[in-house]
Amino acid sequence: MLDADAIERLRAEFLALLNGATTDRDLQGVRDRYLARKGGVIAGLMKEVATAAPADRPRLGQLANRLKTEIEEQLAGRRDALAAGRPVAGAVDVTLPGRVPPLGRRHPLTRVRDRMETIFTRLGFTIVEGPEAEDEFHCFDALNMPASHPARDMQDTLYLASGMRGEAWTPTGPRTHEAQAADIRTLLRTHTSSMQVRYMQTHEPPVRIVVPGRVYRRDNPDLTHSPMFHQMEGLLVGEGISLANLKGTLLAFAREMFAPSSRLRFRPSFFPYTEPSAEVDISCWACDGAGCQQCKGTGWLEILGCGMVHPAVFEAVGYDPEKYTGFAWGMGIERVAILRHGVDDIRLFFENDLRFLEQFPV
Amino acid sequence: MRVPVSWLRDFVDVPVDARALAETLAMRGFETASVDDRPAPPAPPWGPGAAGAGDAVIDFEITANRPDCFSILGLAREVATTWRLPLRTPGAAPGLERQPLGVGESDVVGVTIEDPDLCPRYAAAVADVTIGPSPAWLAARLEAAGVRPISNIVDITNYVLMEIGHPTHAFDLDRLGGHALRIRRAKPGETITTLDGVQRTLEPEMLVIADAARAQAVAGVMGGAVSEVSSSSRRVVFESAYFTPTSVRRTSKRLGLMTEASARFERGSDIAAPLVALERIAALLERLGAGRVVGPVVDRYPAPRGPVTIHLRRERLASLLGVRVDDEDVVRIFRGLGLDIVPAADGWSVTVPTFRVDLVREADLIEEVGRHYGYDRLPPIFPAPASPPAAPDPRVARDGQVRRVLLAAGLSEAFTYSFIEQRAHEAFGLADEAEVVAIANPLSGKFEVMRRSLLPGLTDALAHNRHHQRRDVRLFEVGACFSASAGEVRKAGIAWTGAASDDHWSGTRREVDFFDVKGLVERLGEVLGVPLAVEPAAAPMLVPARAARIVVANPPFAWPALGLLGQLLPAVAEARGLPAADAVYVAEIDLDGVWAVRQALDRAAGTTAEAVAPLPRFPSVVRDVSVLVAAGLPASEVRGTILANRPGGLVDVAFFDRYQGKGIPEDRVSLSLRLTFRAPDRTLTDAEVQRAMDEIVALLAREHGAVQR
Repeated sequence: MLDADAIERLRAEFLALLNGATTDRDLQGVRDRYLARKGGVIAGLMKEVATAAPADRPRLGQLANRLKTEIEEQLAGRRDALAAGRPVAGAVDVTLPGRVPPLGRRHPLTRVRDRMETIFTRLGFTIVEGPEAEDEFHCFDALNMPASHPARDMQDTLYLASGMRGEAWTPTGPRTHEAQAADIRTLLRTHTSSMQVRYMQTHEPPVRIVVPGRVYRRDNPDLTHSPMFHQMEGLLVGEGISLANLKGTLLAFAREMFAPSSRLRFRPSFFPYTEPSAEVDISCWACDGAGCQQCKGTGWLEILGCGMVHPAVFEAVGYDPEKYTGFAWGMGIERVAILRHGVDDIRLFFENDLRFLEQFPV
Repeated sequence: MRVPVSWLRDFVDVPVDARALAETLAMRGFETASVDDRPAPPAPPWGPGAAGAGDAVIDFEITANRPDCFSILGLAREVATTWRLPLRTPGAAPGLERQPLGVGESDVVGVTIEDPDLCPRYAAAVADVTIGPSPAWLAARLEAAGVRPISNIVDITNYVLMEIGHPTHAFDLDRLGGHALRIRRAKPGETITTLDGVQRTLEPEMLVIADAARAQAVAGVMGGAVSEVSSSSRRVVFESAYFTPTSVRRTSKRLGLMTEASARFERGSDIAAPLVALERIAALLERLGAGRVVGPVVDRYPAPRGPVTIHLRRERLASLLGVRVDDEDVVRIFRGLGLDIVPAADGWSVTVPTFRVDLVREADLIEEVGRHYGYDRLPPIFPAPASPPAAPDPRVARDGQVRRVLLAAGLSEAFTYSFIEQRAHEAFGLADEAEVVAIANPLSGKFEVMRRSLLPGLTDALAHNRHHQRRDVRLFEVGACFSASAGEVRKAGIAWTGAASDDHWSGTRREVDFFDVKGLVERLGEVLGVPLAVEPAAAPMLVPARAARIVVANPPFAWPALGLLGQLLPAVAEARGLPAADAVYVAEIDLDGVWAVRQALDRAAGTTAEAVAPLPRFPSVVRDVSVLVAAGLPASEVRGTILANRPGGLVDVAFFDRYQGKGIPEDRVSLSLRLTFRAPDRTLTDAEVQRAMDEIVALLAREHGAVQR
């Protein structure tokens, strides 16, 4: 006897079967069982409705139709759900690592040097390089350090066992073998200042150059010393150039290199090739001068030596010291890198350990 | 220079505490190594300086140009100038007494300067003495200054040394043969036992103080043991002299003997100080009851030197400092520093006393004004450029380009030492004695010769990383190499071991091989504007048949090789600490040479214009062909033959396969070429291309015995 309860039972049965259908095949089975035109449960139900008592027929027909629609909808929903769970052809696991193009690391000293070069280029300086194997004249004599000068002790020099011909190249181009062979080098430069002399010998003022490069001292390597390190020399020569201009230039550099709030402190000092001379401290960028571990509580970090070019240097290169004045400075590139990155052992720069090099940003 | 603040108070009323004093003087050019507090020392008889609960010792670092500040007096002068205070000078205050001494000939001691070039002034005073200990106040001052008290006579000379900065020496007169003091150069082979008990052999360029027979002191450096003042000494002669700085410096260096005296003489002592020092000694002898000077002072000073006068221009002062300093300030600063200053035409005339050996020209005076005016008061003024910047050094951009290419290929940048051990050169076959530039005074065997090549250093860097669990390492360096015949040359070096590319989950690992490194060389040639080719060559450091030299491709002129590349001999790698089983590929290019070629090529081309070619208007045709050739035939020759004949329409030849193995006779190799044809004015017909292909096959058959597959 067909009644509403019977229809409701059919509905419950269907839902139970549908729940158990986890594959497309199961689902087809359920569909066939209920919706097949011949022998399907719904088809049978419709026949029964047709033979029900006329009074019940409209209501039962309505219920049967509602069940049919529900079954169709549920089957479609489940079919879509199963389809969604199936892997799509050509799918990728987007969480796997990408194929990163190879990229080596610039050496930290190159990074510092590049940054300095960029800043000084913007400030109107030209970058030049000079030879590492030098002679006494360019390294000492022309810089107001004659052989007997006590200042030569300040820079213990590495000498070459036999004279070597000069470099194959100068800032103005390649040299002939004759020019090279006639130019004998006897020592390793102790400072990039030697290039001041070479540049002034070959160029008329005004001069605005920076000279990055490798220099050597007779020191055994330890935490803070290295027999080889790098400097960046600066030289500006013109008419009416003053110590105030030196301060202005270095301040402009420091504010871009270190911190916009940087301040400089000039302490009188002595270098044979500058007069007046000064050591320059920069306000510690970690604490902005308040005093911290980096600056050992002083608020200041010693960063470079500088001064007004000594008239004797101008005389040695053939500039008129009455007409021209200028300033020069020398800055240690390792020193800056050590301060910036908190490196505690200068030897790390020359060990080339990838675990060290790879810590620096690209 | 260790300065007890209490001692400083003899000369000037220090207005601040020790730390403030140190900080302020640092801004005047005197850095401080340390400030140490200490208990109040025993007060000297004249009283001052002992006030207060304690004292402090400041250790100042004196720059080489300021020997006058190797003394309490010199620093007191700086303090007085800084705080605008009066300075008490020797002879003008209690505790600073000078006993006036007459100058004349002594009937006891004979003094002769035989080498006035090394000793322009020599003064001597004879004194009867009673040797004993110094009083506590004096011993305490010396100890605080870092000098060990010995006996009253020696201590007095050291006290004067610290106080006014002038070194003196006391000889036991009765130990001097003939009571003579002869200031002369040492005789060849002459020896002396110095106060430190060391016997030293002297050289003829060294100045000595000798008696009638032998050297009794090394002038300005150290006294001799024979005439040393001892407890039995009754008569001493005090030496107070001026020795030529370069002479003392040279002697001190040659003997390896640095003393308080030599440090002052070699920087330049005050030639006016010898008599002042003796007068202070005489006064101290009296104060200590240690003896008295007898007879006149002998003062040999054949060519007296006066103070120097320097003209200082007001305009120059303002233009060099970049600020106008008040005249009043200028005068105050110089007077405070003990210089005489009088107005002159456009500035001042400044007279520099002999103790300021560093002030010789106008710029030196300007520094003194700047120093005491205060560098911190100068305004920072950025200098306007007077002209466009000069042309940059082309090496900078060139090396930057090389770095970028190699970084982009995954190589990290190394900085290796420019000096290496000769053994490393030997391992690489670079030990040629005529070429290696050695260091004359190396500190260690690790840094004994200048590198001829970047590769030993780079190989060591590979080994270092290999020892720290890095199997895949690629490094490069751009740097100078040194050799006798080539001089200093900038090179780029490459060293690569392990994987050819970074490990990835998607692929299989490939080890680096010859062509990875060759590709880098080719790319470098491309960016540097010089087409580079490699040709087979042998090198002692490289595996035979995996070694090549780098040359200019199709050079219009003869040019030597620009570098090498290949696989490092396993024995070489092993000698530098790498496992022999690891393949290491290296390359090195002479960047200066490449650049010179570039310039020569530009000149030969007559123009450096980089004109763009019009794009082809007609399609190209691509044909592949495989040929069998002798296995030993370099592929570049096959390509060269085709390009040299360049049949109609051929625009490019590329290799896309090289095969040996199944189906190919053992002594042959199959090369597959991809040929591209194009005409500028029309589309090539199949027949035309086929004719060209036939021509090429025939050409290869004729030239290389090639057989088409």
